[in-house]
Amino acid sequence: MSLDPRAQLPAGPRHAGIGAGFIRDCALAGGAEERLANRLALIAEEVLGAAPANAGLVGLTLSDRRHAMRLSVDFTAADLDLAGLDQSRRGDAEDAEEIGLYLAARLADRLTTEPLDRGGLRLGFDVGRAYPPQAAATAPEALGPISGAAVDPDDATLALLVQWAEAAELGGPAFRLAPRVLDQRAQGDLFARVALDARKRPVGGLFWQPFGRRLMELSGPALLLPDGADRAAVAEALLEAALAGLVRKKIQGLVVLEPSPDMPRQGFETVGQLPAADGTTWPVLFRALEEDPGGISWVPPVLADWVTAATRRLALGRDIEEPARPKRATGAAMAAETDRARGRVTLRSLIAAGDAAAVAAGNVALFRDQGFSEIRAILDLGKPDQAAFAEGLVKAGLSPAALIPDAAGDLLLLAAAE
Amino acid sequence: MTEFALDRLVPAHVRAFEAYVPSPPDDVLCRRFGVPHLHRLNNNENPIGPPEAARAMMAAWKPEQAALYPQGDGWHLRRALGRRFDIDPEQVILGNGANEVIAFVIKAFCEPGDNIVTADRTFAVYEWLASFSGVEPRLVPLRDYAFDAEAMLDAIDDRTRVLFVCNPNNPTGTWWRHDELDRFMEAVDGRAIVVADEAYAEFAEDPAFPDSFALMQRHPNLIVFRTFSKMWGLAGLRIGWMAASPDVAATVKKTSISYSVNILAMEAARATVWDEAHVQATRAHMRGSRAAVAALAQKLGLTMIGDVGNFVMLKLPMSDTVAHRRLMGRGVMARAMTSFRYPGWLRVSLGPADAMAAFAGALEEVLAEG
Ligand SMILES: Cc1ncc(COP(=O)(O)O)c(C=O)c1O
Repeated sequence: MSLDPRAQLPAGPRHAGIGAGFIRDCALAGGAEERLANRLALIAEEVLGAAPANAGLVGLTLSDRRHAMRLSVDFTAADLDLAGLDQSRRGDAEDAEEIGLYLAARLADRLTTEPLDRGGLRLGFDVGRAYPPQAAATAPEALGPISGAAVDPDDATLALLVQWAEAAELGGPAFRLAPRVLDQRAQGDLFARVALDARKRPVGGLFWQPFGRRLMELSGPALLLPDGADRAAVAEALLEAALAGLVRKKIQGLVVLEPSPDMPRQGFETVGQLPAADGTTWPVLFRALEEDPGGISWVPPVLADWVTAATRRLALGRDIEEPARPKRATGAAMAAETDRARGRVTLRSLIAAGDAAAVAAGNVALFRDQGFSEIRAILDLGKPDQAAFAEGLVKAGLSPAALIPDAAGDLLLLAAAE
Repeated sequence: MTEFALDRLVPAHVRAFEAYVPSPPDDVLCRRFGVPHLHRLNNNENPIGPPEAARAMMAAWKPEQAALYPQGDGWHLRRALGRRFDIDPEQVILGNGANEVIAFVIKAFCEPGDNIVTADRTFAVYEWLASFSGVEPRLVPLRDYAFDAEAMLDAIDDRTRVLFVCNPNNPTGTWWRHDELDRFMEAVDGRAIVVADEAYAEFAEDPAFPDSFALMQRHPNLIVFRTFSKMWGLAGLRIGWMAASPDVAATVKKTSISYSVNILAMEAARATVWDEAHVQATRAHMRGSRAAVAALAQKLGLTMIGDVGNFVMLKLPMSDTVAHRRLMGRGVMARAMTSFRYPGWLRVSLGPADAMAAFAGALEEVLAEG
């Protein structure tokens, strides 16, 4: 049984302040610093305030995810009008009175959505803990060579790997801030394999993190050995250990959105290209862990040519079907996950409805106006509803970039680089 | 109804487990992959089918009998097997496939918090059954493609209840000799149950292959699994069995499910015991088919492993899961081995001649595509 503090309050502005106070006090009691508690409280206030009266009782739950605190907001009523959740519907949002969820989503570092039983919806707002910058710790010169199979490292080894990778600017953003990486791992939000030398010192590492429900995103490897040393062997050993730990569970495949030059390419297939700001592209890599028994792909006409060609090229067994229009006439909404530091936003379907195309276009326009330079969208082609957003995304300048295979629903990644 | 909190009712080890999803039926696969016909070389079946006596029995079978329950624990079949292997029929327990017998054994000996020991690269069902029963699967790496006795012994602790040795091993075809299994049993020294899963035993022609029924006399903690799915061509009827020393069998009997094996399976299985001519014909097919795949492997520059069983493994210069899809697109279904912890390997069953020819042609094309 979870001991996370929770409350249920009526939707609407009258109880928004109460919800905010409750969340703030609980966050502080749970050890959150002031800044974090205040942000969570603001989110609670904005969401409750902007929720339509017909939402009934709204559930607020605060959970400690170590590297972040999560405010979960549960709407249990079916057929809600949650258009207010959509950032793009706020019009001239900065001036509007009911800035509501637009603000809420911006206050969070990550917004996730999850359907609840009987038509309900859970929004998860994650606010990351602040970690003080770490003193640089440079790896010793005489590391290596690799000795034995790569391991699931203990905390001290993992921390050392991250410190050394950070000092050498290796591995990409996942390999930064050792205390955060340890917290992410303890929370089950990050997994690692580390190659060691004979003195049990880390010589390289590979991380993976959940990407949707059935896939993992691989980051790295960060290789600490100098050029020419058996770096390729370290990368192979890391990958082999990662695969051995990943198979026979629920994970269907690995996606690499930002391949490091040290990632071994054999065994990966290129499932698309992402545009870089300078007009070049880089490959999106994928590796299936399970056999693909085929599935259904719901593809809107505007994407049919591209998806059909990609499906053929990847030899995927798919029934390609054209989805019916969503039953709901209006009220479509999208969720946005923002990464301000990198100027990246990723849009996902929240609620599909007849006005989905307009809502999608509105979202792209909104983030473009805010200066986001990398706008992406992910559509789950296993869900017939999500296709409705495609037309608007394409009109707004996004193009299909990659088809990430999953027999239960291929993920179509659309992108526009500004 | 007040709120139904399903999660509250589900043990953590079940919640954490992802259900196995079998591949769809052939008509669906054919449509999705755009092929008129699919050669199945993924399940290690017997292309020769069931022996003559079992065919005759099924042909004569009267549909009216489907209305009646079968006899509950395979009375006649257990006696036939007892005579054949010189053991008491009470030492034999039937299951709806050997898979079900694995479940009986884990239920009989393990409780949450216990562990089982097996290999990392072997048949998956031991690991899965343990996981969703709250039992830790300890996976010992294979050594030179074979079960590593030393390392398995090292993995035993006071919560170890069962050691699963797949002999011959699916997918590598490696096997322990009689003296190796004997020495292993000596070293385990009664600390845990040892299962020798001999699903493919009837394919082993070497006299050094264990006589596990004899070993059972001296090692009462030994359980042997057999199945009618492989050599006996009855995979579709789902029937397998185990034998153990009397006390161990009596314990597993408690967690076995009576009436789990259907009439047709029981009668057909009984008709197969023990058709030597069928065994010889099947082995001859496997020898020929294995030699043909070896020649193909040599032509294509691929490493092949597996000397025993109705399957071999090939190491590809490309992703096995991609090769699997491309072979599907050419009407051939082999097994991608990433999930067996052999990334880059394909396992192919030694099936009917036309399927093997289709496989050879399709594989050559897939490799040419790169
Ligand atoms: C090693 C091994 N054990 C058991 C089984 C399961 O056999 P059954 O069909 O009797 O359930 C198989 C089937 O592939 C197998 O390979």
